[in-house]
Amino acid sequence: MSDLLWSFLLVCAALGFGLSISGLLGWVERKQSAVMQDRIGANRASIFGLRLIGLFHPIADALKTVTKEDFEPPFALQPWHRLAPTLSLAFSMAALAALPYGDTVVFADRSWSLQPLPLSAGVVFMLGMLSLGVHGVVMAGYASNSNYALLGGLRGAAQMISYEVSMVATLAAVLFVYGTLDLGAAARWQAEHGWGILYQPLGFLLFLAAGAAETKRIPFDVPEGESEIVGYFTEYSGMKFVMFMMTDFIETIVLSGLCTALFLGAWHVPGIAAIPQPWLGLAQVAVFIFKTLAMIFLLMQIRWTLPRFRFDQLLRLGWKNLLPLSLANAFVTLWAVYLLS
Amino acid sequence: MSEQRSPSPYPLPNAGEETTAGLERHPVRAVERPPFGLRERIYVVEVWLGLAITFRHLFVNLWRHTRRALGLGGPPGAVTIQYPEDPAVVARRARSRHRLLKRDDGTPRCTACMMCETICPAECIHIRAEGSPAVIVEKRAKSFEIDLGLCVFCGYCVEACPVDAIRMDTGEVTLSALSREELLWTMPELLGDEPHGPHPLWPGGESEKRPGRFVY
Amino acid sequence: MPDKPKVKFTLDGRELEAVEGTLVIDAAKAAGIEVPHYCYHPGLGNPGVCRLCMVEVEGAPKPMVSCRLPVKAGMVVKSDTARARKAQASSLEFHLANHPLDCPVCDQAGECFLQDYYMRYGLYRSAVREDKLHKEKRLDIGPTVVLDQERCILCTRCTRFLSQVTKTNELGIFNRGDHDVLAPYPGRRVDNPYSGNIVDVCPVGALTDKDFRFKVRVWYLDETPSLCTTCARGCSIDLHANNRRPWHTPDERVVRFKPRHNPEVNAWWMCDEGRYSYKQIDSRLRLKFASRLVDGRPEAVAAKEAAARAAQELSALVKAKGPQGLAVVLSGTLSNEDLFAARRLFVETLHCGMLLAAPGPDQLGEGDDVLRRKERVPNHIGALALGFGARIPDTTWGGLRAAVEGGKLWGLYVIDRDPLAVWGKGSEKLLSGLAFTAYQGSHANRFSTAAQWVLPACSFAEEDATFTNFEGQVQRSRAAVPPLGESRPDWEIFRDMLAALEAPQAWTSAGGVFAELAKAEPPFASMAFEDLGMHGKRLARAPGPGSGPPGAGSGGDRA
Repeated sequence: MSDLLWSFLLVCAALGFGLSISGLLGWVERKQSAVMQDRIGANRASIFGLRLIGLFHPIADALKTVTKEDFEPPFALQPWHRLAPTLSLAFSMAALAALPYGDTVVFADRSWSLQPLPLSAGVVFMLGMLSLGVHGVVMAGYASNSNYALLGGLRGAAQMISYEVSMVATLAAVLFVYGTLDLGAAARWQAEHGWGILYQPLGFLLFLAAGAAETKRIPFDVPEGESEIVGYFTEYSGMKFVMFMMTDFIETIVLSGLCTALFLGAWHVPGIAAIPQPWLGLAQVAVFIFKTLAMIFLLMQIRWTLPRFRFDQLLRLGWKNLLPLSLANAFVTLWAVYLLS
Repeated sequence: MSEQRSPSPYPLPNAGEETTAGLERHPVRAVERPPFGLRERIYVVEVWLGLAITFRHLFVNLWRHTRRALGLGGPPGAVTIQYPEDPAVVARRARSRHRLLKRDDGTPRCTACMMCETICPAECIHIRAEGSPAVIVEKRAKSFEIDLGLCVFCGYCVEACPVDAIRMDTGEVTLSALSREELLWTMPELLGDEPHGPHPLWPGGESEKRPGRFVY
Repeated sequence: MPDKPKVKFTLDGRELEAVEGTLVIDAAKAAGIEVPHYCYHPGLGNPGVCRLCMVEVEGAPKPMVSCRLPVKAGMVVKSDTARARKAQASSLEFHLANHPLDCPVCDQAGECFLQDYYMRYGLYRSAVREDKLHKEKRLDIGPTVVLDQERCILCTRCTRFLSQVTKTNELGIFNRGDHDVLAPYPGRRVDNPYSGNIVDVCPVGALTDKDFRFKVRVWYLDETPSLCTTCARGCSIDLHANNRRPWHTPDERVVRFKPRHNPEVNAWWMCDEGRYSYKQIDSRLRLKFASRLVDGRPEAVAAKEAAARAAQELSALVKAKGPQGLAVVLSGTLSNEDLFAARRLFVETLHCGMLLAAPGPDQLGEGDDVLRRKERVPNHIGALALGFGARIPDTTWGGLRAAVEGGKLWGLYVIDRDPLAVWGKGSEKLLSGLAFTAYQGSHANRFSTAAQWVLPACSFAEEDATFTNFEGQVQRSRAAVPPLGESRPDWEIFRDMLAALEAPQAWTSAGGVFAELAKAEPPFASMAFEDLGMHGKRLARAPGPGSGPPGAGSGGDRA
């Protein structure tokens, strides 16, 4: 019973973490881009004259989107049109549960896992959730029953499927090194033997690129193309549109978390073992969240630095550069692991 | 023939004066296309170089923002103009709200030649002409109205005017209004003789009434 | 002229043929080459004072004025060489030496020869550094014309018009050298009935029309070739309508008539009465909606319904009281198509007892031997050709009055005329004895206010129609502006009435009516509506006497 309650608490915490960070990411995106572009950024929302460097904007945005008219095009195919954003968001949020926020905490004479979903095949689960997200995109594009949305959905499907292949090939290399599919075990391996990025620097870069493509954000935002090429959520408004936006943000968090777990030592920093239980668990969670946020920060910076790829460039990069490189990386790693063991 | 007159009824500034000063001030420069080698083709290096630039801006600006927030002064971290509070910076040659000019004797310069009305691509200028008691220029505008709701601020009217009667140099750019009627500017308002207020729109309003007997 | 032989000569490298003695400027124009000119006007002679139409002639030491140069066999003329162009440009520079640059306020701007030629030669920078001479700016020289002496380039077209065409000689050129001015002779005013023409012939803005002054810029006007319907001459005109900038002329859509060159009718001219008759088109008296008098008050009826109901009323009365008691008053104000439709309705279907078509005292005016005809109706001869007053017996206003007073009539159908104005005061009482009175027409009059039925018709500027002038020239008017209110062409009203009388006609356009008319009436036999062209065509047998227009000759529309 207490196991179940603990799992429930952890899942709630993970979802709360994802949702609150994704809400805040809207603000981060605005402010970070503004500061690096010598601007000030959104600073108008105020409560009693208090502006607090624009921190009220996420609240204002939430209020606005919740109260906005939810327009459904009369030609849309129901219920698929309504289902698509839910599907997208749900799969990406499910992936949050499998992240290794911490190792185990010893408390009240027993050890509690800090991983909400300690699966033995956590990596596979996360990959599955990320690839199921494409269904939301395709469904949104198709159910909107509009040419622009359909084309956006098709672009999205092509891109996500293409980059998934590279991503899996890249991850294969790392997992050969760790010898496990369990994210918690991978984290422990890294705490023991050193961070994954040291063993797989190329893999890290490849994973970052493939992962950024998976989140459909600049420079890989061909499916949506906010300003010029309208995308799969053209026919969505109000909260449903925001659900797609949140999907993007949560995917960013998931990707950063996965990157942290597999390449950046998850909750490990040198010397963390010196902290006594149960504070060690809290410290681990803090370290993991800090690393994840740093990764998000880096992804944001990339998003505001690079221009968008053209669709042909995007697919060429995916199939002709990333995939061969990641396959080569995997085979070399496999060979090395075979030789060394 | 009886009275003294100026040589030309329309003294124009810089008439007949041609200049190439602009070209000298802004010589043509050829911009070299940067080389596109292996480093650029790999792209990853370039990505990190680009990131270095944006990160530099980010941290320098954060530092400056922080200094100023702490009251230590220093250069500003942003070039943003906080518009409604701070006045808008409008370039001197920016096209802003129109105004009509007067002659030295205070009469409007406009001779109702309809050049601006003809050139206007938005057809936002409505002029009505009448005879004038003046000796030299025997025509003048009875009414001169601009519907800023239609105006596209192209400035052709200023270019077309043969007597320098209309200019777009008031610097006024906050011209939005809550009703279409407030976007119609009449002659006394454009001349600066009267404060601006709402007016009945054409067609149909008193200002531009098409007689009701033309029922098509 | 025609007996002179045709000769060959060369113009700008083209081998051309012209009758010997033709002016080179005319031959060039016929070949599509326009030599710039001011003083030469095909209707007013060639004094050669403007020196603008310079051409180079092989063998001649200097450029020559083409308006005084007759064509000779083997002549080689060049109008486009550098030397000829330089000669033309130099003359032009002289013309502008004292001409004020007040195009912005000048009504001629847009149709000004000086402006056009200057733009063509691009002489934007004047070599003249001296001040321009100043003369009188605004001379009121007559009821229709204002003179600006500064703008005058002394081409003498106006003085020649006044001496050759009207023979009134009000204007002259006075003083010498650059003090030359155009002015009226002492004590004279340009008040002849053709004074408006001097504005048309003036190549610059020296003579402007008081009526048109500052009204609307000419480039806003839409031009429709039409004809003047004031008198039986039917002068060809261009009807200028201001459709694009209605606020410039809020009270009128048609803003002026300009005579159009037609050697068969009016040469280049028209009279002032006709020129200012454009005001009738948008006059406040225009009828726009059909009405029926109920208890002494007009009650609005939809125009189509009104025609049908009036026709049914008529047919019921004809059945009850016989067609002998119906009198119809119409006239040559109607077009050929309208008259044909009226004949079908009143004569062939209803068999009306009395008909008045001849111009009475209400339609007669002053005539002269220049253009104006006494009959102030445009289609008097058309009515005759269609049998009104000939095969169909005609009555007079007196005869009609006697019939009304004698109680012989029960109905009176009047089209575009006013019996009450002819019969004088107190004649309204006569109408009370009539069971049916109807007025059909474009303008309200005393009869229209008293008639039981009012059916609005559109004016000639709003419909396609043909009119036959006093010499039998059939010309077209073309729709230039949309009809006012529910007014319609007369033949459409008659068609609807015929349909209500169970005699439907398959007429859908004036052209269709004209085609049926041409089939039925031998004088019109060779004509087709679309083939009448800009000058019109002559009836096979002109039913009336006539004389050609003064100074008729060949030449362009824009002389």
